Amino acid sequence: MKNKRQMLWSALLKGYGVLFLVFLYLPLGLIVAFSFNANPINVAEWTGFTLDWYATIFQGASVEGNFDAAFTESPERIFDVIRTSFVVALSAASAATVIGTATALALARHKFFGKRFYQALLLLPMLVPDIVLGIALLIFFVGVGIELGLMTIIIGHVTFLSSYVFVVVSARLAGMDTTLEQASADLGAGPLTTFRRVTLPQIMPGVVGGFLLAFIISLDDVVITYFIAGVGSQTLPLFILAMMRRGLRPQITALAVLILLFSLIVASIGLILRNRKP
Amino acid sequence: MAGDRFMAARKRNALLLLLAPISIILGIFFLIPLGIVVVYSFLEPGLYGGVEWTWYPYNYGRILGWPLNDYEEFDPIYLKIFATSLKYALMTVVFSLLICYPAAFWVSRRSERWKGFVLFLITLPFFASLLIRIYAWLLLLRPTGFVNTALEAAGIISQPLDLLFSGTAVVLGMVYIFTPFMFLPIYANVEKLDFSLVRASQDLGASPIQTFLRVILPLTAPGMVAGSIIVFIPALGNFIVPSLLGGAKVQMTGNLIERSFLQSRDWPFGSALALLIMASVVVVLMIQTVKAGRAKGGRPA
Amino acid sequence: MKTNTNTGETCMTLTSKAIRTLGSAAMLALMSQGAAAEGKLNLYNWGDYINPELIDAFSKEFGVEVTLDTYSTNEEMLARIQAGAAGYDLVWPSVHMHDIMQQLGLLQPANPNQMPGWENIDPAALRSQADPNGDYCMPYAWGAVGIFYNKKLIPELKSWDEFFAYANANPGKVTMLDDLRETLGVGLIMTGSSVNSRNPDEIAKAEAFIAEQVPNIGAFRYDVIPLVTSGDIAAGHYYVGAVLNVLQDPENLGYVIPAEGATMYQEDICMLASAPNVENAKLFMQFMMRPESAAKNAERLTNGTVNTAALDLLPENLRSNPSINPPAEVRAKLQIFEDLGKDLRLYTKAWDRIKTN
Repeated sequence: MKNKRQMLWSALLKGYGVLFLVFLYLPLGLIVAFSFNANPINVAEWTGFTLDWYATIFQGASVEGNFDAAFTESPERIFDVIRTSFVVALSAASAATVIGTATALALARHKFFGKRFYQALLLLPMLVPDIVLGIALLIFFVGVGIELGLMTIIIGHVTFLSSYVFVVVSARLAGMDTTLEQASADLGAGPLTTFRRVTLPQIMPGVVGGFLLAFIISLDDVVITYFIAGVGSQTLPLFILAMMRRGLRPQITALAVLILLFSLIVASIGLILRNRKP
Repeated sequence: MAGDRFMAARKRNALLLLLAPISIILGIFFLIPLGIVVVYSFLEPGLYGGVEWTWYPYNYGRILGWPLNDYEEFDPIYLKIFATSLKYALMTVVFSLLICYPAAFWVSRRSERWKGFVLFLITLPFFASLLIRIYAWLLLLRPTGFVNTALEAAGIISQPLDLLFSGTAVVLGMVYIFTPFMFLPIYANVEKLDFSLVRASQDLGASPIQTFLRVILPLTAPGMVAGSIIVFIPALGNFIVPSLLGGAKVQMTGNLIERSFLQSRDWPFGSALALLIMASVVVVLMIQTVKAGRAKGGRPA
Repeated sequence: MKTNTNTGETCMTLTSKAIRTLGSAAMLALMSQGAAAEGKLNLYNWGDYINPELIDAFSKEFGVEVTLDTYSTNEEMLARIQAGAAGYDLVWPSVHMHDIMQQLGLLQPANPNQMPGWENIDPAALRSQADPNGDYCMPYAWGAVGIFYNKKLIPELKSWDEFFAYANANPGKVTMLDDLRETLGVGLIMTGSSVNSRNPDEIAKAEAFIAEQVPNIGAFRYDVIPLVTSGDIAAGHYYVGAVLNVLQDPENLGYVIPAEGATMYQEDICMLASAPNVENAKLFMQFMMRPESAAKNAERLTNGTVNTAALDLLPENLRSNPSINPPAEVRAKLQIFEDLGKDLRLYTKAWDRIKTN
């Protein structure tokens, strides 16, 4: 009796789990499938297989096909935008990694007055709604007279990315044995040497994981960038938002798949690194 | 002794060095800007963006009904829009809770090898571009989209349903993008769940429902609360999802803020609205802190 | 094209070039102002609002390296220029924004009215109140904001009345623009007021008119072209640039300036007070005054040209298109927006209420 019921529950749960994964992946799968759809007008109505949309990303409207040149962005623009995004994400993630790691070390290895304040402060950027941070930075930059542009986006990203890196590195530090550090210090190594030779190698997976997380979040940020982007600093998400608001074009679908592929690869590396036990 | 003092000084210097960058970044580019938002919300809007430096509490009057002047009149719609935002954010929380809760149990019952893989699969979509995940729902829900085409082909409906550009679409979109946020805290909690307590409850003759309500639910509540907060906050301030899936007909406070800054050039009003959202966030966090504190202190181990 | 401009979002930018340009522009500004400099010109225009061939042609003819950044609303452009965006030479504000910018001292006189080719510019296009003689800016292009529709669903559409009647019979199958002045403008036209009304009663009437239609309107959106083309919606309130799509598929698509009247837009090319490449900017204005340039541009943007000499160079299907080049009696019913200053808030509040119902 009881066993039967448990088996039923377990079967139900299994079925539910599969449904859950379908819910997560079906929309993404459809985007991938329909990026090969030849129909230039209705993305959702299948009329045949084509690689044209991918070709337009690299070759522009000069690709042979039955689509409208006005609906196609030029490869130069797409690559310029991608370059901006990478410049922003690399700079912001690097800076955030240094700052976040330093903060994590300070909070994990030192006792000082105001530690709890810092702990709370570091959570805040992750808890403040994006739109509030976005407008706050906009008002600040305009008020102080800092020209909106690449620099403002990078600074804006560093403010909230540092918190993410901090959390990831702190988790790693918390699980770390401090005896080696003490031994190193007892043997007369300076703090810098101890850090370089002992601490850093041990927390490296956390640092790299934090960097990759920050990199992905920066690459994908829409709301904050939306408010503080300036002249000549359009990032990929803003570009896609612009394309989406103008309408559903097959080219976006193809571009979406490429971005999807890229972020999934980076995310996989990051997750695998993070899951490796210390 | 001197060596100790030397070490202490060195340690203090190291600490200062480590804390300096974050203090500068969060001080200048986070706390000060938030402070300026507060100041701006009490200033008069400039004619062409920006502000006039005069004391002007009427931005709040327009939202809350007091104080008012000749130019700013109270309009209940702002509170109504805020209520709508609260409603959608809460619906998003409830639905993602319902979706993620059983899923967490499912994952926690997998074998170690599968568990890692399934967790990886569930976290992965979080890293896929947010816009692209919303875009997928645009494709799914539009009148000639996949859902309607499939339902029509199956003969279930004869006319396409108006799925897109509705509150339903907005909530659905938010549930979809925030699912990983809800899942992970619940899972962390369920994973640690001591099943011997469940078995003990069953052995003592409790019905499954009693066991669930008295044992499982309280034990997994912290994860549910954490997940709910993490979902509620970005959902409340969202403007991307309603502007894309709501067809700009469904609007949330986030859309009003965006419009105040980028269309109607009324920065102080937008700041006041942003602070309304911030206030709700603070209230939620305070309730959580007080509750957590009471739970810790009130229940002897 | 204007179809893709007002879209409330930032459009593509030639980013890295702009960064390089900003740096060099700043240096140039330090070194010598006004000189034709190193042969650079930095444009800040609406997205897709100039035929790219023209930029290439200008660049080749004068040996000037041209960069183009884009914006999507007047407010966005103003905010960025006020925020201190340096390095741009020319901007494309709408007429009311031209007035604002001139009053704020953001522009410098380029004296297009002294340039050869000025005689080609239609005097009626000098719509700016602050610049009635064209001392500052040069009129660029104009167009109406009407209805783009799918003929498979609506065989013929002539008026707002028919548009709203269709919406009434088929709720959810039409869209209007997500722009408070455009959409309230339709309400003002339908209730017989000026689209620049500052009278609260008139605005309230317009608000009531639109509010009544809201249940039947599928959405307030800009991404109308693909939705109408695919038949997801039957008709959408949209810029005349959609005629480009109509010309490609005239059997299934249509565009109309409604009989009751419509709003119109016009942009002027203006030189910023901070322009680092004054001489090149003037050269570009002259280049754009050429009838051939204006015609080439109108062909791509499918909107009205302010260059009377260019009209003869246009292909027949554009010249005779009643939406692009409307007859005088239709033109008389087109209204252009003026800056409303503080009274804009009357519209903002009405719009907030409309969208809340």
